[in-house]
Amino acid sequence: MNVTVRVWRQGGAFGEGRLVPYEARDVSPDMSFLEMLDVVNESLVASGQPPIAFDSDCREGICGMCSLVVNGVPHGPDRGSTVCQLHMRRFKDGDTITVEPWRAAAFPVRRDLIVDRGAFDQIIAAGGYVSVGTGSAPDANAIPIPKDVAESAMDSAACIGCGACVAACKNASASLFVGAKVSQLALLPQGHPERVARARALVQAMDDLGFGNCSNEGECEAVCPKEISIANIARMRREYLRALVLGTDR
Amino acid sequence: MAPRRQYLFSTVATKVLIAIAGLSLVGFLCVHLAGNLLLYVGAPAFNAYSHVLISNPFIVPLELALLALFVLHVLEAVTMWWTDRAARPIAYQMTRSAGGRSRKSLASTTMIVTGPIVFVFVAVHVATMKYGPWYVADLHGTEARDLHRLVLETLRRPVWLAVYLPCLAAVGLHLWHGVSSAFESLGLHGPRLTPKVLVAGKALAVAIAAGFLSIPIWIFFFGGRS
Ligand code: FES
Repeated sequence: MNVTVRVWRQGGAFGEGRLVPYEARDVSPDMSFLEMLDVVNESLVASGQPPIAFDSDCREGICGMCSLVVNGVPHGPDRGSTVCQLHMRRFKDGDTITVEPWRAAAFPVRRDLIVDRGAFDQIIAAGGYVSVGTGSAPDANAIPIPKDVAESAMDSAACIGCGACVAACKNASASLFVGAKVSQLALLPQGHPERVARARALVQAMDDLGFGNCSNEGECEAVCPKEISIANIARMRREYLRALVLGTDR
Repeated sequence: MAPRRQYLFSTVATKVLIAIAGLSLVGFLCVHLAGNLLLYVGAPAFNAYSHVLISNPFIVPLELALLALFVLHVLEAVTMWWTDRAARPIAYQMTRSAGGRSRKSLASTTMIVTGPIVFVFVAVHVATMKYGPWYVADLHGTEARDLHRLVLETLRRPVWLAVYLPCLAAVGLHLWHGVSSAFESLGLHGPRLTPKVLVAGKALAVAIAAGFLSIPIWIFFFGGRS
C-alpha cells in the first residue's frame, strides 16, 4: 500500500517547524506505524536528507517512549494502545496521515517529533516515591491488602509515563499522570503514611511546570494506552483537599 | 521555574472553587425557575411571590452572596483559561476526539464561549427585569410591584425573544458539561456514583433549559396569562 505522511519537521528546539509531506511506497499492511516511518527514513537517508527524528524504544507497548499524534489523536486511532502497536492495516491505500509531536509548554519539542518529557521526571522527583525505610522484602502475605485495593493500585501503577494524557488534553493538563502516581502509592500501606504530603508536592510540581487545569473531559482516559481511569484524578483531588485541610505533616 | 500557584490557587483548588460556586448557582437557577413557573398560574400568584422576595429583609444579603459566587466563578474561570492557553502555546495542526470513554462534547469544548454569553445575558437580564420599569399592582389591598406586567411586556417583543432563546440555550449547554464536571472537580467519583451523576447532570441541564425556554416561547406565541 502507498500512503502520504505529513510529518512535523523542526530542525531543533528553537527552529521554525512545519508539516512536510512524504510518500511512503510499497508499505506492507503488517508493518507497524513506526516501521513505516523507518522505511521513509531509509529513503530520506539514501537521498542525503536528514531522517525524521522520533522516539521509540521497546516497540512492544510497555516502555512509553513512543509519542506521536496521528491524525489528531495521541497514539493514533486504536484505543488502549501505544503508537508502536499501531499497524498500517488500520489505514487505507492512498490515505494521507498527519503526524505531530506532543504539544505542551511543559514538553518542549527538541527536534521533529521528539519532545522532552523531563517534566514528568521532575514531578516524580518532587515526591512520587516512598521515602520511609521499609526494610528488606517482607514475607508474602505478611502485609494483608484487600484484593480490590491491590487491583486498583495495580491499575494506577500501569502508567508508563508516555504523556499521551497531556498531549490529548485541550489544556495540556498532567492530572491523569499525577492522579495515577498519587493513587498508586496512596492505596498501598507502604505509600500511605506520606500520601497527604505527596499529593500536595506532586500537584505543586505539576502546576509549577506549567501544565494546565483539568476540564474533566476524559480525553486523557480515552487515549491512555493503559486505559487509566479519571477516577485517579478524583482521588488526587481528594488527597489534595485532605492536604489543604489537614496540613502536610500528617 | 518559579512557583506559580499554591494551595487555594493551585489547579486543583481552582477547580474546587469553580465547582462549588457553579453548583450553588445551579441551585439558585432551580429556585429561580420554580418561581418563574408561577407565571403559568397567573399575575396574582407571580406578583405575590415576587413581593415576598422583594420585601424580605434577607434578600439583599442573599443577592450579595449570589453576586459573590457569580464573580468568583467567573474570575476563577478566566484565570484558568489564561493558564490553560499558556500550557499549550503551539496548537496542533489537526485535532480529533479520541472517542471511546471520552466525555468531550460540543458543550465541554464551548464552556469558554457559553460562559461569557451567560455572563452578558445575566447582566442584561438583571438590568431589564430587576432594574426595569416599576409598575404597581394591587395585591389584596397592599401595593406591590407588578413584575408580571413587565415580564409580559418584555417577552412579547420579538427582539427580546431573539435575545432570550439563544442565551437560555447557552445556559443549558453550559450545564450539560458543567454539572457532572463539578462533581469530578470535587473528587466525587465512584463506580456507582459517576454514571448516575453523568445522566442526572444532563437531565438537569435539559430540565432547566427547557423550563426557562418554555416561558418566553409561551408568552410570545400564546400571549401568556394575565
Ligand atoms: S516504543 Fe515502547 S511503548 Fe512504544
